[in-house]
Parts: sequence; C-alpha cells; structure tokens
Amino acid sequence: MARVVVLGAGISGHTAALILRKKLARLHEVVVVSPARRWNWIPSNIWVGVGRMKKEQVTFELAPVYARAGITFRQARAVEIHPSGRAGAPEPYVVVESTAPDSQGAREEIAYDYLVNATGPKLNFGATPGLGPEGNSLSVCTFDHAEQTAHALDEAIARMKEGAKLTFVVGMGHGLCTCEGAAFEYAFNLEFELRRAGVREQARIVFLTNEAEVGDFGVDGLQIRRGGYDVPSSVFAESMFVERGIEWITGAHVHSVDPNEVTYETLDGQKRTLAFDFAMLLPPFTGVGLKAFDQDGQEITSELFAPNSFMKVDANYTAKPYEEWTPEDWPRTYQSPLFPNVFAVGIAFAPPHALSRPRKTENGVPVAPAPPRTGMPSGIMGRAVALSIADMIKRGAKQPTHEASMAKMGAACVASAGVGFWSGSAVSMTMYPVVPDYARYPGAGRSTRHTTGEVGAAGHWIKHILHHLFLYKAKAYPGWWLIPE
Amino acid sequence: MGIASEQWRHAMKPTRWVVFFRTFVLYQLWRFLWINLRMVRMIAKSH
Ligand SMILES: Cc1cc2nc3c(=O)[nH]c(=O)nc-3n(C[C@H](O)[C@H](O)[C@H](O)COP(=O)(O)OP(=O)(O)OC[C@H]3O[C@@H](n4cnc5c(N)ncnc54)[C@H](O)[C@@H]3O)c2cc1C
Repeated sequence: MARVVVLGAGISGHTAALILRKKLARLHEVVVVSPARRWNWIPSNIWVGVGRMKKEQVTFELAPVYARAGITFRQARAVEIHPSGRAGAPEPYVVVESTAPDSQGAREEIAYDYLVNATGPKLNFGATPGLGPEGNSLSVCTFDHAEQTAHALDEAIARMKEGAKLTFVVGMGHGLCTCEGAAFEYAFNLEFELRRAGVREQARIVFLTNEAEVGDFGVDGLQIRRGGYDVPSSVFAESMFVERGIEWITGAHVHSVDPNEVTYETLDGQKRTLAFDFAMLLPPFTGVGLKAFDQDGQEITSELFAPNSFMKVDANYTAKPYEEWTPEDWPRTYQSPLFPNVFAVGIAFAPPHALSRPRKTENGVPVAPAPPRTGMPSGIMGRAVALSIADMIKRGAKQPTHEASMAKMGAACVASAGVGFWSGSAVSMTMYPVVPDYARYPGAGRSTRHTTGEVGAAGHWIKHILHHLFLYKAKAYPGWWLIPE
Repeated sequence: MGIASEQWRHAMKPTRWVVFFRTFVLYQLWRFLWINLRMVRMIAKSH
C-alpha cells in the first residue's frame, strides 16, 4: 500500500488528487492537505469583484467531494517537509497545522510515499507598504477579497450617482508581479459595470502595470497574425484600452500605497504619485514558505526551495541573461532533483526564469513581470505528475513517465471584458508554446498559426461555459475526467 | 496634451463594423464554433 500526499487543493493539486484516485486501487491512499475548506474557481473571482457573482457561485465545500471520491482530506496548512524522515525512522513525512475550527493550530505528522507540492502562491502584499485589503487597496485574488472589492465598487457607484467624480486605479502592486491578465480583465469588467450603472462619464480609470507594454501578460507579449501582418499584442491591447477610455501606465514599480494615493516609479526612473478613490492592485507572489529538514533536524529549506520559496524541480536554474534563455531550461517532469518521490506543480514550482525581458528603472529598481502559470498549464502539470506517480506505484517505474513542459504546451485563455449574454465580450486567446522557442519559431518565438486572439461575445459565452464546466469537473461529477484541463 | 489623448493618438482604433460584429449574434455563433475548435486543437497539442 502506498500513500500519496497532495499539498494544496487548487487547480493543480485538486486535478492531481482526482486523477491519482482514479488511477490507483483503493488499497492506496490519496491524502489532500489544504487550509481552505472551500474550493475556488479563481478565474471567476473577477466577476465576484464587480458584483456579478456571489462567492457561493465560485466555490464549493471540498469535504463532501473528497468523501465521495475516496480521498482523505485534512483541512490544514503544511508547514514542514521531512523528506528523509528522522534519525532511525527514514519514512518521509510532512508536518501540518490544522485550520479546522474545532482543532485550530493542532499539529500532525503525515507520512508519505509520494508528495505533490501544489500549494500555489503566498499573496505577498507585504512586499509593498500599504498594499492589499489589510492596507489601502483592494484585491480579487481570493473570493473574500473579491467580495470586499464588490462592496467598495457599490459604494463608489453610489457616490458617483450623487455626482462625485472618482479615479479608479487597477493593476499590479509591485514591479515583480505576475498575473497581469487578471488585472486586465478586472479593468475591463470595471469599465463595463460603470457604463452599465450610467456613471462612466464621472470615472477616470488608470491601468498601472509592471509590463513594459500593455498586452505583454508576463509572456513577453504575443504576435498575432491579422490582416496580412504579424501584429504585437500590445497593439490590440492599447486599442482596447483606448476604445474604452482607460489610460495606462507601463513599466511601473509601486513603492507604496497610502490612503487614496499610490507612489510608483517608471522605467525612466521618475517617481510619481497618483491619487485614487478606488484601487485594485494585485500582489506579487512567493512560495507559501514551507520549511524542509533532514534526518537530524537540520534545516535544508534552501536545498529544496529557491530563495522565493518556490520548490526547485527538474529545471535549469543557472542564472543567465535573457538572450541565453532556452525552452530546455523549463522543467518537464516537476520532480525534485534531490528527492525522486517529491514533485511540485502549478504556481508552487520554481520557474527557471521569467518569460518577459526583465528590466530595471534608471535607479536600478527591478521591473520584471514574473512568468504566469495559468490554469490550463497548472492543471496539465497536475495531471502529468499524477500519471507519473501512478505508474511508479503500479508498475514500479523508476522515472516519471509523463512530461508537461511549458515549452511544449500551449495555453488557452479567455479574458472577460464584460458580463452579459448579448452585450458582454471577452478576449479569446490561444498561444503555442507558452515558453517562446525562437529556434523553432524564428522571430515570434511562437507558432503564428496557433497563437491567436480576438474580441467578441463568443468569448464571453465560452468563459461562462468554462465556469460551469470546470466547477462540474472539480466536483468530480460523473464523467468529470472527460473534461480536459 | 494629456496622457489619455496622447495614447489615443497612437493607438489603433476599431471601425464601426468591427465593433458591430463583436456582438452580432450570427457572426459570434460562427466565431464560437471556430474558437472552440481552436481551443480543442490547442488542448490536443498540449496533453
Ligand atoms: C483573480 C485571478 C484571475 C485569474 N484568472 C485566470 C484565468 O482566467 N485563466 C487562467 O488560466 N488562470 C487564471 N488565473 C490564474 C490561476 O488561478 C492559477 O494559474 C491557478 O490557480 C494556479 O493553480 P495552483 O494549483 O498552482 O494554485 P492555487 O489554485 O492557488 O491553489 C493553491 C492551493 O494550495 C493551498 N495552500 C496554500 N498554502 C498551503 C499550505 N501551506 N499547505 C497546503 N495547502 C496550501 C491553497 O489553499 C490552495 O488550495 C487567475 C488568477 C487570479 C488571481
């Protein structure tokens, strides 16, 4: 009998756990450790953040789903990994700390044969003074944050209906942020809702981003074939902003967020302030801060994890300049190079480097979008690792049998630009591969056939269908496994 | 010139027809099928 412990029940961990359970006989145990009681379809938090959905519509209770699926669930936060056990007892284990109301803080050791770290990001609001819901800005990263943001928006709209003119700032709260696509979506949904409420004329909306150009999305931008040309995504993104009267500030590192004022520095080294009435600024991400120990209790965290707390896997972490980055730097199996029974997937694995060209301001402040690991790649990684572990358990495979390199994988992304069956729209994007490969695709780095983008109501319909489809799949309802990641 | 108008001057703007087709149901139904096909192809290439 083998026990696989999955840390994290987000897109990658939940996918891995369900597939492991499907592939492994019941004599093997699948354990999921996650601090949150509810599963969250994070992409739809954007709609919660503009008041178009309630948090109950984007979440569900995990325990009944796991009980039905035959997966052991611990509502807890993993805090330590002991990959070689302790002196005299080499069985590896993790230490978890309960977050359940009736046993809050209680510690437990869970032994494992295989470990999947799918703990996602720590929302590092602390990197920028005053950033985040505990400070002076809003967020949509969690369903609770999104709900709070929707209330703030309601209040802002009420004030505008009484004649107030307000400034809305949407974007990235630090020079090293990732997930620019989410802020982009929020800006467009916000603009759409203000129009719908009849107060658009009284709103100034500013998109503040660490991207060197809008439309970079942390993937170094895209080249989209249109009208006989390969057109940079920045052209389309700027067009969308201009059409909706949204201003943009690029290459920005936010230094601080004070009540109603954000201070930022741009690539030219200029420090400026921007007064706001409503600011939704996303935080930078780090790993969740798991610690690792050897048999003697000595800390080995820096061997297992990169300095940003993401777990090192089979990537090439040699530091090198942008010009020397290659697709081969990216991991394929997500196996830890030190412990073959430990894997990290989704946002939890340490990327070898960014995808967008890293820049510094004239004063040397880094402004470098971190590489996004969006839903589709995260799910595919979870699947590949689950299948590899299943083969290791069932067939005694010595090496991982499945690969999921972001350099060989595409991504489909639908960025909402407003809710409404007839009037809503979204940008439907596909890119292949996620990691540019300039040897294979000279110039653009990606296939211009498979890298596409367009705006329209069809995108909104698709986004809406995906919302229901992925919730169905995550609830492990009949045939869930037929729905691809 | 304010930041907004300067940005406006340099950006590509959609024509009336482009905007119309974004919410014109018959055209969008066709795009719906086409985008789904594109995404399925992407999924098949990535798994
Ligand atoms: C607002 C927003 C909108 C987005 N929109 C899109 C979109 O439209 N399309 C798209 O493809 N992607 C989108 N993304 C990105 C997408 O949400 C992520 O790519 C995806 O969630 C990553 O999956 P993950 O499993 O790595 O992490 P997560 O989904 O964040 O899951 C991490 C899990 O680990 C748990 N955890 C945390 N700490 C611990 C611990 N110590 N021990 C155990 N468990 C722990 C968490 O509770 C959670 O269950 C969006 C992101 C945001 C923030």
